Amino acid sequence: MKKFLPIPAAFGYFTVFVLIYLALGYDWYRNKQAPDQPIAFSHKIHVGRVGLDCRFCHETVDKSTYAGIPSVQKCMSCHANVATDRPEVQKLAGYWERQEAMEWNRVHRIRIRNHVYFSHKSHIRAGIDCADCHGEVRYMDKVRQVSSLEMGWCVSCHQSKNASTDCLTCHM
Amino acid sequence: MPKWGMVIDLDKCTGCGACVAACKTENNVGVVSPRLSSENRSMFWMEMIKMVEGEEYPDMRVRYIPRPCFHCDRPPCTRVCPVRATYLAEEGLVAQIYNRCIGCRYCMAACPYTVKVFNWYEPQWSDERKQCVNPDVSLRPKGVVEKCTFCYHRLQIAREDARAENRPLKEADYRVACQDACPAAAISFGDLEDKSTKVYELSRSTRAMRIMEDIGTEPKVFYLSEGE
Repeated sequence: MKKFLPIPAAFGYFTVFVLIYLALGYDWYRNKQAPDQPIAFSHKIHVGRVGLDCRFCHETVDKSTYAGIPSVQKCMSCHANVATDRPEVQKLAGYWERQEAMEWNRVHRIRIRNHVYFSHKSHIRAGIDCADCHGEVRYMDKVRQVSSLEMGWCVSCHQSKNASTDCLTCHM
Repeated sequence: MPKWGMVIDLDKCTGCGACVAACKTENNVGVVSPRLSSENRSMFWMEMIKMVEGEEYPDMRVRYIPRPCFHCDRPPCTRVCPVRATYLAEEGLVAQIYNRCIGCRYCMAACPYTVKVFNWYEPQWSDERKQCVNPDVSLRPKGVVEKCTFCYHRLQIAREDARAENRPLKEADYRVACQDACPAAAISFGDLEDKSTKVYELSRSTRAMRIMEDIGTEPKVFYLSEGE
């Protein structure tokens, strides 16, 4: 009788690991998903079909460390006249009439963002294409994060392009 | 390769503390409550050291010495760091990498100038202060050591701009926050090995001296004083 006691104990022991595995898997799966946005804005239509340049909306990408998210006013500069009958565009017009800012959800997450200095400007100047990090946005309806944005991923590119790998270059 | 250094003219310095305030704002240095400050938990990257000579009012003299990190050429702090979170980087800057720091505070004990400060608490920002947090400088969490970086982010930005315009970095491009704030222009900053800079000339003048020169740390911050 005593011999069989460890079996439920062992079962319980391994169940814990299975549960941890499943929880991590779910977390990974959820992180890979594109977050929901206040309106169903499609990069596929704007970049792929209409052919807008990234810099048309993300104006400060080559001038500042931040790429910049376009204001509702920027959207309305076209959508006052273009595709006004679509429900999503009408939702946008609602924001404009209420003079309310759109609260976009962050797509690209860096776990400890506070500790790293990243400048869009200097990367654009170095000739890095937007798609190298952000993926082929023109085929995405809903943008999701493509690259891991972890330090090893940064460093591997810095090494291959002979950029500085001194800690102080990014962490200050 | 440049070797960045600072020259502080104590004959010009009035001890107003503008450099201290500018440094705090520029580098998001935490502000602590008066009670914690009395327990020596206050944080300064640029500290105004007050030296009182003499006993009572008429027979006394007060000196003020602004003290940033000296970015020594032979830094004692980097030798003791077990995780290489602080090291002598290129261009002679002593780097402090917050991600790596484990908060052992050996470097604080090793530094003869006590320039390093430890984050005892999670930094608290008032609503007004939150709006002027500098996005170019990281916000340090609780449990890491920090110190003056010679406004390294400014060098980074200046270098990016110079590279974009295809020209070498000029002296006027890279200015530190305390230098910008000093109303008496007592602080000069630049490349110590470039003969065209002001600091080259000043650091070699007869008035120049360094603090605790005899211990051989070779600091890159020079003080100018007419003796006495």
